[in-house]
Amino acid sequence: MPRSVNRGLFYLAALAAWQALHLWGPWPSFLVPGPVQVAEALIAGFADGTFLIGIAVTMRRLLLGYALSLVLGTVLGLLIGRVRWMDDTIGSLLLGLQTLPSICWLPLAIIWFGLNERAIQFVVVMGAVLAIAIHTSDGVKNIPPIYVRAGRNLGARGPRLLTGIILPAALPAVLTGAKLGWSFAWRSLMAAELLFVSLGLGQLLMVGRELNDIAQVIAVMVVIIALGLLVDNLVFGRIERRMRRVWGLGAALPGRARGRRAA
Amino acid sequence: MAGISPNGAPKLSVRAVEKTFVNRQGVVSALGPLDFEIREGEFVCVVGPSGCGKTTLLNIVAGLEAPDVGDVIFDGKPVLGPGPDRIVLFQDLGLFPWMTVRRNIEFGLRLAGLGRVERRKRAAHYLRMVHLAGFHTSYIHELSGGMKQRVALARALAMDPVMLLMDEPFAALDAQTRDMLHAELQEIWSGTGKTILFVTHNVREAACLADRVVTMTRRPGRIKREFVVDIPRPRQIEDRDVGGLAARLREDLREEIEAVLLEERRRAKER
Ligand SMILES: Nc1ncnc2c1ncn2[C@@H]1O[C@H](COP(=O)(O)OP(=O)(O)O)[C@@H](O)[C@H]1O
Ligand SMILES: [Mg+2]
Repeated sequence: MPRSVNRGLFYLAALAAWQALHLWGPWPSFLVPGPVQVAEALIAGFADGTFLIGIAVTMRRLLLGYALSLVLGTVLGLLIGRVRWMDDTIGSLLLGLQTLPSICWLPLAIIWFGLNERAIQFVVVMGAVLAIAIHTSDGVKNIPPIYVRAGRNLGARGPRLLTGIILPAALPAVLTGAKLGWSFAWRSLMAAELLFVSLGLGQLLMVGRELNDIAQVIAVMVVIIALGLLVDNLVFGRIERRMRRVWGLGAALPGRARGRRAA
Repeated sequence: MAGISPNGAPKLSVRAVEKTFVNRQGVVSALGPLDFEIREGEFVCVVGPSGCGKTTLLNIVAGLEAPDVGDVIFDGKPVLGPGPDRIVLFQDLGLFPWMTVRRNIEFGLRLAGLGRVERRKRAAHYLRMVHLAGFHTSYIHELSGGMKQRVALARALAMDPVMLLMDEPFAALDAQTRDMLHAELQEIWSGTGKTILFVTHNVREAACLADRVVTMTRRPGRIKREFVVDIPRPRQIEDRDVGGLAARLREDLREEIEAVLLEERRRAKER
């Protein structure tokens, strides 16, 4: 059976099972709203604009924090990968810090910045920057030395060597780090928004809980999943496919397993 | 062709150069002490058993590695680092897989400050020279081994170096492609008058291409003997005279290669 048919049948069956649980499950049916109620909540959420505002606020935070993380993480990764003493010092520090779930930075962030956007941004950056820096530095360390030699031979030195040879040669690993960084940023942000109320999708989840509006809670979860899939396929999927075509890589990237560390 | 430069000074002198490496087994004496000279426009082949330090020698001449002892003088000035006047054709090519063929060739030209139009023109010219016109937008993985080799050659030639340093550039190719590239290389050399230092372990190849062949001892590599080649050009790999010289070169290298084999066998037994 073709994959898409397979998949379509599976999801239809899952929806049917969900509806059956809603109707005939051993619990009161308001605790498990069916697909129809969730769809209604979705439509209502978009119709009155609350979901759109939530998406806008959340994506703005995420994009700002992630952009900062990309720049910081790549620069740090390049330095750690190329400069021995940076690796021995900052490199080891980052490896240590990486074991800390990034939401643990929230209390500190609130003390330092107060209950505001800067605190949330800080948590997002701490979630993403370490993964990006560590993967970039790994990639840089594992570049076949011939590329650097050939680059120097053709006249590349200093910053031109970094941007023209080392960074692109490490691109597969940098991209893996960027993907991982994105998923960490996303998780950290959701955790922060749940804990600390200030618009955004996370707050919509909490509002739904407080109103006991379970259909809304599930509808927001659906929105969060949809956003994640959209970015994975449209942004990272596209970049990755292009890179594989250019480099002639058949197999998937290394390190595709993600989210070993929940934020 | 093997002309003397106007003031009679050598184009390249390598003086008492030595190099050691430190690796897991300890200190490896890789090269030298080694002395030799190359005149302007000369095509010199260096042959020696594998592991004798040929690649190390090229890297030192290119300025990509510094010798521990001795110095390298190029055009009257000591070599302190890489420069666009000495371009290497690496054994494993070093083509950049994230760039198209054209961008590979243009990479060094851009660093040399050439404008876009001039870069395009040069890339096209040298791609035509190696019979790859039309492949400028291909990526490296889309090319066959021989085509990659020719892209690397075009990239090196496009830099218009004074001296071309070639590290077993044709070792990985099938015989037919190799013969074709031998012919192309001789043509390019006689057309441009470049000074070429060509490293190989293939004695026939050396006899076919060189004005002068230098044999090296086993590691740490030193100069063993020099053979001036006065076989008329163009030469073919299967010419009688080429074969004759190749036999003499092989004879000269025999004890070195046997010693290397013995050493390897001894080490295998110890393990
Ligand atoms: N970067 C390095 N580190 C340690 N040993 C090296 C290094 N480069 C070369 N060598 C050693 O130096 C010797 C000469 O190597 P090389 O110049 O590559 O020989 P060839 O090109 O003639 O085969 C070999 O024994 C090799 O193992
Ligand atoms: Mg070699």
